[in-house]
Amino acid sequence: MSFWQNISTYFSSEYYTFWVVSIGAGIICFAAGIVGTFSYLRKRALIGDVVSHAVLPGVAISFMLTGVKDPLYFLIGATTSGILSIWLVDFIQSKSKLKPDTILALTLSVFFGIGIVLLTKIQHSGDAAQSGLDSFLFGKAASMTMHDVITFSIIALINTICIVVFLRAFSIISFDEEYAKSIGFNVKVIKSFLALLTVITVAIGIQSVGIVLMAALLITPASGARFLTNSVKKMLVYAGIFALFSGFTGVIISSSGEAMPTGPWIVVVLSTFTILAIFFGKEKGVIARMRIRKSNNIKINNENTLKTIYKLSKEGNESISRDQLINNQSITQFKATLKRLEKNQILSRVKESVILTEKGKLAAREVIRKHRLWEIYLSKYFNLDADHLHDDAEGIEHIITPEIEKHLITLLDRPEKDPHQSEIPY
Amino acid sequence: MKTPIIEAHNLTVLYGRKPAIWNVDFKLPEGQVIGIMGPNGSGKSTLLKAIMGVINPTTGYTKLYDQELEKVRHKVSYVPQRQEIDWDFPASVWDVVSMGRFHIRGLFKRLTSEDNDIIKESLEKVNMLGFAKRQISQLSGGQQQRVFLARALAQQGELFLMDEPFAGVDVATEELIVDLLKDMKSKGKTLVIVHHDLHTAQSYFDHLVLMNTRLVACGKTSDVFTDQILTDTYGGKLTTIAKISQELENKEFPIRHR
Repeated sequence: MSFWQNISTYFSSEYYTFWVVSIGAGIICFAAGIVGTFSYLRKRALIGDVVSHAVLPGVAISFMLTGVKDPLYFLIGATTSGILSIWLVDFIQSKSKLKPDTILALTLSVFFGIGIVLLTKIQHSGDAAQSGLDSFLFGKAASMTMHDVITFSIIALINTICIVVFLRAFSIISFDEEYAKSIGFNVKVIKSFLALLTVITVAIGIQSVGIVLMAALLITPASGARFLTNSVKKMLVYAGIFALFSGFTGVIISSSGEAMPTGPWIVVVLSTFTILAIFFGKEKGVIARMRIRKSNNIKINNENTLKTIYKLSKEGNESISRDQLINNQSITQFKATLKRLEKNQILSRVKESVILTEKGKLAAREVIRKHRLWEIYLSKYFNLDADHLHDDAEGIEHIITPEIEKHLITLLDRPEKDPHQSEIPY
Repeated sequence: MKTPIIEAHNLTVLYGRKPAIWNVDFKLPEGQVIGIMGPNGSGKSTLLKAIMGVINPTTGYTKLYDQELEKVRHKVSYVPQRQEIDWDFPASVWDVVSMGRFHIRGLFKRLTSEDNDIIKESLEKVNMLGFAKRQISQLSGGQQQRVFLARALAQQGELFLMDEPFAGVDVATEELIVDLLKDMKSKGKTLVIVHHDLHTAQSYFDHLVLMNTRLVACGKTSDVFTDQILTDTYGGKLTTIAKISQELENKEFPIRHR
């Protein structure tokens, strides 16, 4: 079979279900990811958990009342009990001294408990129509139909439009609710509206991915996206893309082998994204921080070496050997430091010894100046004795920026000598 | 007093059953720098929030400019306590200060170039224009406070209610705020400031509200900043009010019916 034939089989009718499920999963993940960004920003990550568990009694009751498995009735029941749970959390919070985490855990278990009791009762009622209701627990993505995909698309569209239109409202209540109230915004209505969007999304989503995983779909995309950006708008975009892609990929992976559950795979892909974001995120990511630490170390090594050469040459050493300079650096680090300094025309090497260039001397005086200024500051403002100053200044000399140096000089009235009576090189 | 700018009438706010402020009743004059002072937990912030409609009083009411709050809200700027906000929120200094124009533009309208000019000007007044693009998580305490002040300035109000603007700021920021207050007063604005440092009270404020759940005194600083009144406000480990509050809470007695 040629490559193109191979590809084209994926678009044949046998693969119809595969496409329906993967696209549907992507879309519902997207819908949850963007609306969940605000749960994340409002520090209500656990609310997603509460709501997704709390919809269960609603689903059970709607079946008991109607006796049919109609998604619309389920939606109405699920939304009602989901909203009830949020209202209950707020109510208990305003009326009791219980801490928020206790209230959330309490509400979650009470609703879920009732849900399970009802579900068990239905299952033992002998009603044949009930079979499959337990798929709400873990989801049943594989049985997704075109009809579901359309429902998902509608909720995704509604969420997108509402977030674009109400971006200002949703952002301000997430950042500073009291200020929003003070300028006359109707915070209560905005909050309820956001809660409604969240609950409906959950109520629709659990039919495919299940109660347990739904909470992850709300919070995980946003927590990954937060590492990549410092703007709410971009966060929404990243969270949406993450979620869409994870839903899609999760289905592809799960359909590639036996006994590969869809919902859990979606969450695994999503979590992988988040972990990658934690590592590679700019500014906040682990790698970015390591890079900063490394560049700090380079600066410290450069400046310490520079300082030592300057001091040794001042003491009258004509030629300075490398062994005198190595300080606490490893051999490789030291070689790299020398190379850098030479490249920056700070020093020049003559056979086995080194001398500072004019530029190097200036730079060395700067470090020493900062060191001594800080020592004066410490002795004056921290009231430290002269023998307690050096270690602290050894660290701070690398951090002082030109602005801070200027500030120190003015503050200390351009001093001539440090507490050890050494001259300050201006 | 000519037209009082703020009137609190028998204001009581209960948290659960415990009164945070109790029967507070006063009038404040226009165009002054007014300090609200009292020990920790004496209801200073609650009072400010009740005036601003952020929390609803259990009983009593407040009037601003002799009117309901809703009618004059556009004239009033509120500066919340800096510590109550999560500064790790993904927003820039500019984003926060631009919120100061939302009361005009509402929930949906875009900000205009006129708004942008006002935002710029406000940032300049607090010496933060150079930080406009900075992430708020990277600001020092003093800079955070300046951003909040800039947001209030951008509202271009007449009356400013500030909750502890001097708490935990550096000397430079403190000086800047003092100068700003003077400048605003000279332009006829009224400033109501929750404050806790007794040493600076006399130099900062023309008028003082001293409270400890109940109102202890309200008047010109020179009249009310006396040993007797200060002992009344701050003195004693457990005031009568505190003892009663404890009882109310423990025994679930109602003192107000909603």
